[in-house]
Amino acid sequence: MKRKVQLTKARQYKGIIVEPEIREFFIGKVWSRENTPFSKEKIDRYIENNYFKVKPAISEKHSFFPFFNKKYICNRCSNDIQQEFVEFECARCRKICVYCRHCINMGRMSSCTDLLVWNGPSEKFPKHHILDWNGMFTELQQKASKELLDSIIQQRNHLLHAVCGAGKTEILFPAVFHCLQEGLRICIATPRTDVVLELFPRFQKVFPNTVIHAYYGNAPKQKGTAQLVIATTHQLYRFEEAFDMVIVDEADAFPYTYDISLQKAVWKSKKKGAPVALVTATPSVQILSKVKKDGWGYSFIPKRYHGHSLPVPRFESLWFYERQINKGRIPKKLALWTKSRIEQGEPFFIFFPTIHLMQKTAPLFQQIHPDILSVHAKDPERKEKVMKLRNEEIPGLLTTTILERGVTISNVQVAVVGAESKIFTSSALIQISGRVGRNVNFPGGEIVFFHHGISVEMDAARNEILRLNKEGFQ
Amino acid sequence: MNRNEVKNCLLCNAPLNSQMDWKRLFFNRFPKVICQECENQFEWCLHEQDEEVVSLYYYNEAMQDYLHRYKFMHDVLLSKVFREEIYYNLKNRKEMIVPIPMHPEKLKERTFSHVDELLKEARIPYVHLLEKITTETQGGKTREERMNTPQIFKLKKTVQVEGKEILLVDDIYTTGTTIRHAKRVLIEGGAKSVKAFTLIKSGFYK
Repeated sequence: MKRKVQLTKARQYKGIIVEPEIREFFIGKVWSRENTPFSKEKIDRYIENNYFKVKPAISEKHSFFPFFNKKYICNRCSNDIQQEFVEFECARCRKICVYCRHCINMGRMSSCTDLLVWNGPSEKFPKHHILDWNGMFTELQQKASKELLDSIIQQRNHLLHAVCGAGKTEILFPAVFHCLQEGLRICIATPRTDVVLELFPRFQKVFPNTVIHAYYGNAPKQKGTAQLVIATTHQLYRFEEAFDMVIVDEADAFPYTYDISLQKAVWKSKKKGAPVALVTATPSVQILSKVKKDGWGYSFIPKRYHGHSLPVPRFESLWFYERQINKGRIPKKLALWTKSRIEQGEPFFIFFPTIHLMQKTAPLFQQIHPDILSVHAKDPERKEKVMKLRNEEIPGLLTTTILERGVTISNVQVAVVGAESKIFTSSALIQISGRVGRNVNFPGGEIVFFHHGISVEMDAARNEILRLNKEGFQ
Repeated sequence: MNRNEVKNCLLCNAPLNSQMDWKRLFFNRFPKVICQECENQFEWCLHEQDEEVVSLYYYNEAMQDYLHRYKFMHDVLLSKVFREEIYYNLKNRKEMIVPIPMHPEKLKERTFSHVDELLKEARIPYVHLLEKITTETQGGKTREERMNTPQIFKLKKTVQVEGKEILLVDDIYTTGTTIRHAKRVLIEGGAKSVKAFTLIKSGFYK
């Protein structure tokens, strides 16, 4: 009896018992001190007991030379573009404070707000998982999958370069499964929310025993600590040294290639020495050179999973299409193309360079067929409209580049209007061409670039597709 | 390099390519900070003005978004957006300009006073005469609740308002409760006349 009392006393003396909720919430995250779902007193007590590292949200770097401007760095989004820092008279501190406009959408971080980083015991993840998938790999997929796994075991970065429709997601399964069984924490990041929403149910189905969370803007709250996180790259701002492995899917998509701080966020979110794998159909020159220079693992799949070649785009002139549309008529060739698609009962996408042009043409197309709809990035019914096309409720969709990736509709035919526009880079055009012929039953299909003069990017896209076809069928 | 130089639209981040001309070179007091497209989305409130309360814009979707980003996401830089319009509307007013104050606790929470910042950016001198005594806000209340709120302001201790003409400034005018309360306090203190100026006029939708 006496001994028991002593024991409890000893335990009390040690400090506090960590609540699992708090640990689950904070592990691997960088979080604003003011905006936690827990009470202020509780957080303060944890800080006193050294369970958190506290750092200011904006740090200052003084230049080596006197009289030079000091430099600010945001500790959440790693932004160091000085124009995006704003100095203001802070009424709380009664002095000049600074905030970062780059990540203000996630709540303002200023130099007088603190960030919390978990410093307590780390989480142990279960090692028993089930891989519920019995698909078959093609030879090339098998090889790529093994190469990816080898790179992970050697803790080496990896680039998986595979054409659109090569079955990239499936290739990831063995690698993810391996990591899960080692009790490691994995993140699959992608620049697009649509892709997160598509990947999440697929992974949930394949790994039924694993805690998986999806993070994107306005995502619902999810319980527990996820061993597998599927997130948009923006959400990685919130993580720090959290993952033993990060996979970036669609690593060539806007805004990831364009926004350096997103790339920094990926590197910040992983633990030191943990490998990163990039998955893309159109790697940029920078990525390829990095692969060579730093000795990354590299796998290349030039062939689709069904073994048919990629559809090659056809160039079709559509002179002065803009002027004709402004006059209120659809260019003849485009109208004929659309009519023949409707006659043959094939679903179609027509890509436009700008929302403005698309909205101008939409009523004209509705004269051909009243059910033709249009979608763009700000359209709240985007998902529903794509579903309608998939269910064959509507004959076709007009769209901006927002549907260039991640959408799979069987037997879809694609036209690009104004393919010479600046927004259609070669990688965008390759992605758009990749929408066609993804189904085994309909491996062919038409991809037409309607243009007002052939651009260098159009040629580059076509040559790349021809090259891939050549390499796949040697 | 000037840190505060604005190169992209503060609202949509599109690059601002303003052309240089003579007028801009010599009289450019307020360089543009938002693009033409964003500017067009704000709706001027030209009609239904009365003598007592002058408002500049309607509370449409674009304005709702602006106010949310400025007031609730605390993007202080957005106080620059309407500085030119505020300047031209207030520069010739002869009354004493008095912004509606915030409660000190609210001020600490928000870290800046949104009305003061608007005036500061527009380079309009102002005086604080009032103090707010409640921490509750008008937003999120029904019309009846707003109408029946007890007095929310009091005069600052050492100020003299007797015989003065006063122009109250606030960000948004909805039911007029805030302005009415402030006006009553000032009139009771002996002010000669009290008028009001707000950036936004909102119909009450709830």
